[in-house]
Amino acid sequence: MEDLIGQGRAAIDMIVDPQSFLEGEVGELLLTDEDFGASAVIGTARLDGEVCTIIANDAMTANPKFPVVYAGIIGLEEGYKMALAVYHSIKADQDKLPAEKRSIVLIVDTPGNGAGKQEEIFGMNKSTGAYQLALAEARKAGHPIVAIVVGRAISGGFLCHGLQADHVLSLGTKFNTMIHVMPITSISRITRLDIEWLQELAESNPVFAAGPDYFYKLGGVEELIDNIEAMRERIVAHVAEVRAKKTAGRDDELGPWGRGSLSLARGSRTERDRVIRIMNNEFAEVAEKYLS
Amino acid sequence: MSSKWEDLQKRSFLESKARSRAIGLVDQGTFTELAGPRHRVSSPHLPLLGEAVEFDDGIVTGVGLIGEKPVFVASQEGSFIGGAVGEVHGAKLVNIVRMARKAYDEMLTANPDLAEEKRPAVVISFETGGVRLHEANAGLLAHAELMDQFQDCKGKVPIVGLIGSRVGCFGGMGFVAAAADVIIMSQFGRLGLTGPEVIEEELGKDEFDASDRALVYRTTGGRHKYIMGDCNVLVADSIAAFREALKDILVKPYGEIAAMSCIGSLEKVQYQLQLVELCVETAPKDARDVWKTAGNDNPEELTDMPLDEFLKTVKRLTDSCLGG
Repeated sequence: MEDLIGQGRAAIDMIVDPQSFLEGEVGELLLTDEDFGASAVIGTARLDGEVCTIIANDAMTANPKFPVVYAGIIGLEEGYKMALAVYHSIKADQDKLPAEKRSIVLIVDTPGNGAGKQEEIFGMNKSTGAYQLALAEARKAGHPIVAIVVGRAISGGFLCHGLQADHVLSLGTKFNTMIHVMPITSISRITRLDIEWLQELAESNPVFAAGPDYFYKLGGVEELIDNIEAMRERIVAHVAEVRAKKTAGRDDELGPWGRGSLSLARGSRTERDRVIRIMNNEFAEVAEKYLS
Repeated sequence: MSSKWEDLQKRSFLESKARSRAIGLVDQGTFTELAGPRHRVSSPHLPLLGEAVEFDDGIVTGVGLIGEKPVFVASQEGSFIGGAVGEVHGAKLVNIVRMARKAYDEMLTANPDLAEEKRPAVVISFETGGVRLHEANAGLLAHAELMDQFQDCKGKVPIVGLIGSRVGCFGGMGFVAAAADVIIMSQFGRLGLTGPEVIEEELGKDEFDASDRALVYRTTGGRHKYIMGDCNVLVADSIAAFREALKDILVKPYGEIAAMSCIGSLEKVQYQLQLVELCVETAPKDARDVWKTAGNDNPEELTDMPLDEFLKTVKRLTDSCLGG
């Protein structure tokens, strides 16, 4: 297999225990309408014997009700459907100890969110926001969340589905994976800067360039995986690592905030760290005036 | 100084710079800017691309008081690269929210009975198109951090978003705003995910003409978002009007404020899904079709009537419109 672009469902089968995936079911949630949020796949499976929730894109199935939702785009229904899967994971495990909460695996192959008139009239921003808040809530409740980019992780689509995970993994560029806000050609067009010069600049500063390697340098991706057969085993390992950190109370090393520290460790986003320290120090001097 | 604050109150919110908004929203003389221009924290990336920098990176962050309540403020400046979020801009925004939540944790640990009027709040005056392309990857990661910090505030610190500036609130910041507990807008505010030009590119000019200002406003503007329930309070275009609405919100108990949010729980997602169903059933070609569904028999009139008349007349989309 050369790559997994558009193959969200195949990726599920490669990751979970054989024949364990139950589509449309998470805890009390049971979705039976095939057309509902058709471009997103949710369900329950076993991962190395343990119950886990799977949330993936299905680039092969368009949503018949929303013409802008195809090729793995996350539309109004898809965002809320994905949020339902997360909230029902939380609900199903609400009485369990944090260490026993099911993991959630996000299989990412999306070009973005639905861009249409009806989407804006009804508020696509709420749909993608709802899913992200649900993931953040689940993460903080103890569910280990691991995202794996198997195809495209583009801009707002990646924020929606991927970047709220505890750990983000990506197949390497040899599998044609794409992570970016905009391809460098578009950045060149909009900023009117020479594309070759931009590409050269990207080698020393990963802050605008497209590709998993740059996101890795920037601390936006925890691990690049260069062997497709190792994908399952690496996800299992990351779930265990995340769970161990949560149990040890090291939540600050996980999720978006943890990736802030990771970027510093990898020598990038250093101004982020500096400005945060300036603000904290400056506030400490005046805090008395504001806080009771 | 005192006359200046008073002058700010009368000013158009739409025409005001980020710093004026930040200073004018909190009580007179209480605003302290954090990581302000004197620290010269600017984007390290823009100069590499031959672009000019600002010493606040297009965002004013600080702390002030409204009554006894510490209010952590972020205010975005649209005249600098469209208020777009880069590494420094994003870090300031992320950290102001984090500081409010940390202050809450420390205060409540020291005194679990601390009166609600002394507990911190976050106020964000949005003016942004989302990610700054020149440092797109860092901007993107900052958005994820912001959603993470918003979730940390749940159950603790109320977050109020204000939208009434020139650029509106689009791109990733569109969903960040949706994640706030309360949204206050003026009729000049615009809120969405995908900017009008991108929709035109996607659907073609016949379906969506981005140069049609009236169309853009009735799809994303304050009046429309108020009808939809995505904007909680619609106010006149002055700093004083935004400040009064903000004060009215912040005196409410936390639970009441949190209940006003559009998203953030299973129940709220289920309600939003009813709206999506309504969208499928009615297949609106224009926002005015939805206004009609909401019970406004003459939707054309809603656009131009004066604000107070609009607020008295308008029917908003509520459970009763969802057919059971």
